[in-house]
Amino acid sequence: MLFYFEERESREPIGVIVLEGCTVELCESESEEFAFAVKFDCIKARVYKMAAENQAAMESWVKALSRASFDYMRLVVKELERQLEEVQEEARSSQAKNKMKKQVQAAASVQPATFSLQNAAITGPVQEGVSSRENGVSWSKPTSVPNGVSEGCVWEGDCSGKGDGVRPPPVPPRRKTNGGSLESPVSPGTGCFSKLHDWYGKEVAELRIEWLQSQ
Amino acid sequence: MRFNEKELVFLSRQPSERAAELGMRGPKKGDVVKRRQVKLIVNFLFYFRIDEDEPIGALLLEQCRVEKEDNHAFSIVFLDEAERKYLFECDSQEQCVEWIDAIVKASYEFMRKNLIHYRTEIHRLTGKDPLEQYGISDETRFQVNSGLPPLPPPPT
Repeated sequence: MLFYFEERESREPIGVIVLEGCTVELCESESEEFAFAVKFDCIKARVYKMAAENQAAMESWVKALSRASFDYMRLVVKELERQLEEVQEEARSSQAKNKMKKQVQAAASVQPATFSLQNAAITGPVQEGVSSRENGVSWSKPTSVPNGVSEGCVWEGDCSGKGDGVRPPPVPPRRKTNGGSLESPVSPGTGCFSKLHDWYGKEVAELRIEWLQSQ
Repeated sequence: MRFNEKELVFLSRQPSERAAELGMRGPKKGDVVKRRQVKLIVNFLFYFRIDEDEPIGALLLEQCRVEKEDNHAFSIVFLDEAERKYLFECDSQEQCVEWIDAIVKASYEFMRKNLIHYRTEIHRLTGKDPLEQYGISDETRFQVNSGLPPLPPPPT
């Protein structure tokens, strides 16, 4: 919402412009430099014209106004939610794959050993996973100002980077070092150890069967 | 305070998150329960007389508390000095719970908090700030410490 006040020190606004559904554009004005306008799609809607004091201020306002909508916020939240899930998923699967494949030959008593190694593993695979994903995914910045910024900003995410099956080779486990770049050594999934234990146990059981069948 | 009424009316015609006919009672003493068409769109709760196209009014769902009341009802209490309370009566317990959930999640403030939580988590797990690539990491609203400013003191 854009509240407008008579003066800088005024306690109460004269009014408010609800910005949902609006578009923000630069506009030509004889009297004002650095002018921009807030427009709506509905019939007979007023056009709200404003002018800033300088180019930088104008650009800053236009950006802020075009990102003010609920939809924009929702987009960003959904995107971060998705990213977090991806990161958590990668951390879980990388750890399991690295540790289980090495341990399966000595299939007995793998489970106790896995837990202590999983702390070290996270510093490796997660980093790799993140950088390869960043290469595969490209995000265009919000549409540039001169063309008339549209509300809600279009995201052009090329998500195919994740799905093309090219994964980095597993990194050999490193001991957790102090001052490692990741602050927390704990895997996101360790909230409940028995759950984690079962999860690892499942992969071990599957790999054990594979190995036995190949004998 | 003025507001851009035409645009708000236009907004009230957009697809809603949730809409239903509910009993609604206003905050003033002597207000009674009336049947209204209630529509949740972004962080607004529009209310209409039954079968009318134009909303009578809208509640901005920020700085408010949603509470369960007896008999399949819930209330929205606005946290200004007067603590204005609106009551809504539903047809079933299930409907009531769904509405409460929807309204709680409808606020901008709720989304903002989620965003900050995800941002912090992703940063903790990857060492990278996910907002950097969008060029919005410095926006005030996305900072961990920025909450809404405290409500003004009651008039003396």
